[in-house]
Amino acid sequence: MTDRLERLTNLLANLLDARRPLTLEELVELVPGYPSEKAAYRRQFERDKDTLRGIGIPVQVEPLDTLGGGDVGYRVRPEEYYLPELDLTSDERAALHLAVTAVRLEGGGAREALFKLGGLEGESAAPLAALRTEPALPALFDAYRTRATVSFDHRGERRRLDPYGLLFRRGRWYVVGHDHDRGEPRSFRVDRISGDVEIGPGGAFTAPEGLDPTSLLRIDPIAFGDDAPVEARLQVDRGYAAWAIAELGDESVVERHDDGSVVFAVPVVNLNAFRSFVLGMLDHVEVLGPPEMRAAIVGWLETVAGAGR
Amino acid sequence: MSPRPLVGPRLKRVLALVPYIADHPGVSLEELASRFEVPIRDLEHDLELLWYCGLPPYTADRLIDLEIVDGHVSVRFAEYFARPLRLTAAEGLSLLAAGRALLAVPGADPDGALATALDKLARVVGAGAGLAVDVGGAPHLEALRRAAEAGEQVEIDYYSFGRDALTTRIVDPRSVFHAFGQWYVDAYCHQAEADRLFRVDRVGAVRPLGTHFERATGPDDRSDGQSDQSDQSDSSDDAVTGPVFRPRPEDTRVTVRLAPDADWVLEAYPTEGARQERDGSWRVVLVASERAWLERLLLRLGPAAEVLDPPEWRAAAAAAARRVLARYRGTPA
Repeated sequence: MTDRLERLTNLLANLLDARRPLTLEELVELVPGYPSEKAAYRRQFERDKDTLRGIGIPVQVEPLDTLGGGDVGYRVRPEEYYLPELDLTSDERAALHLAVTAVRLEGGGAREALFKLGGLEGESAAPLAALRTEPALPALFDAYRTRATVSFDHRGERRRLDPYGLLFRRGRWYVVGHDHDRGEPRSFRVDRISGDVEIGPGGAFTAPEGLDPTSLLRIDPIAFGDDAPVEARLQVDRGYAAWAIAELGDESVVERHDDGSVVFAVPVVNLNAFRSFVLGMLDHVEVLGPPEMRAAIVGWLETVAGAGR
Repeated sequence: MSPRPLVGPRLKRVLALVPYIADHPGVSLEELASRFEVPIRDLEHDLELLWYCGLPPYTADRLIDLEIVDGHVSVRFAEYFARPLRLTAAEGLSLLAAGRALLAVPGADPDGALATALDKLARVVGAGAGLAVDVGGAPHLEALRRAAEAGEQVEIDYYSFGRDALTTRIVDPRSVFHAFGQWYVDAYCHQAEADRLFRVDRVGAVRPLGTHFERATGPDDRSDGQSDQSDQSDSSDDAVTGPVFRPRPEDTRVTVRLAPDADWVLEAYPTEGARQERDGSWRVVLVASERAWLERLLLRLGPAAEVLDPPEWRAAAAAAARRVLARYRGTPA
């Protein structure tokens, strides 16, 4: 009995070598190891085809121009199969090896990618970072790189999107792009996409020239919203200062005091988010101004304080 | 007995091996085994199968000519397998994302071998600036990484979020890592006399002490750091919950009624039991290890939350609100 690996290897060699699509009958004739009975070899071939596709081999099914009609042929187009030359240097391969050992993307195929690029070279690194992954990610990535419109269910709503990018931030993946139904740029949390991502034909759109996809990410709660922009000034105590700087950015620091406290000036376009942000620091922060914003925080606190009496 | 490896992964490996052997005639089995992470026995077995592979009519000149002589391998007549299979979307994404993440870590060389490798890879995969991985930073990240690398003791100012207290302690930083969207230091804390996980963004200052600590040697010596039980919450709605916070039996269970639109709490924090009432509101049991954590959450929720049980926590939000108000009124609480 032939080993299945042997049959698959021969099948792939024949599919790659084919100058025109080959019919099932031609293939079982060319490739040793298929049973002689039609139902059996058909079943066997379907399994083999699924295995090839399962490891990423683009087996094409093409209609045949025969009088019988409805017949199909199979082949693997070389231009879709072969990895273009990367010309990686030994140092570059070693750098990639370090990267995939230092940064783990759960369930990814980074090591297998490295095997295709010539295997592991150099040392491995100590683990440094773990990125989560999401079931929808590979399909979204494929759509992004081929510029294909996708549709998916996001929190119970069907969305159609031209994906301009995939971004990892604060431990989560986001897809950003042009939302067909809203007619404007949107970002979506990938972990909130349920079910399969449907991918349309490639080359369906062009992202605006010079667009920085990260600019479309609407997750910074203070910086995104529909309220009229107001510049808030707040003083943060020493204990929270490092965290607040990381959160608001160095550029929003306007004063540093000797007691370790820091004064920030930040544009606020979402009052609710800003209030949440401030209240998370309890009594280690004070909104200095403008007066109406300070009053809004005080008013909120008075409501909560009154409810407990 | 270990099961036979699946045929798909075996074929995948063969398709990666053959191009490498074709480019490196006479490569040793040992080198292949380590490069492609495969036991030599499996390697030989799969390579020997190639003797029977090729194209019709499967005569000597049409079969793959693979030779293993004294543990060295060469291959001929395998032009159609002389180049590797392209990367799948998942593979390309994983490799690029890992690389870009490492490049985004403060202190990485933006023009080094990793950067140039990623440029080449991105071109082939077809991914430009649209794939961006941001692992963030923190003011004292680099200082802590340096200390961990050198095995140097440091004194840190640390803000303990759950207890809402600023502390100063001497720690032996063993490693610094990024997980669940945050940077952590895994360290031995001399104050607690135990292993602790610290969030780097809550470190207010790092003072190297010039003294060095014993580094654990074996790979299995990594500490199983306990968090300081303050990490169940984050100040944004995008709170990170991972294995860092594990509810303990002795933690307080607080039953809270939430307005319908406050359901993000269910997603953001560990709850033990959540039930939606007829009017759309939620009745949830939250695990609160530290009082400050709950106070924060309640202040943010305001009228959208009400503590039902235990009775002594019913006034927690009001008390916290009065404390914060005191600051605005310039009077002590």
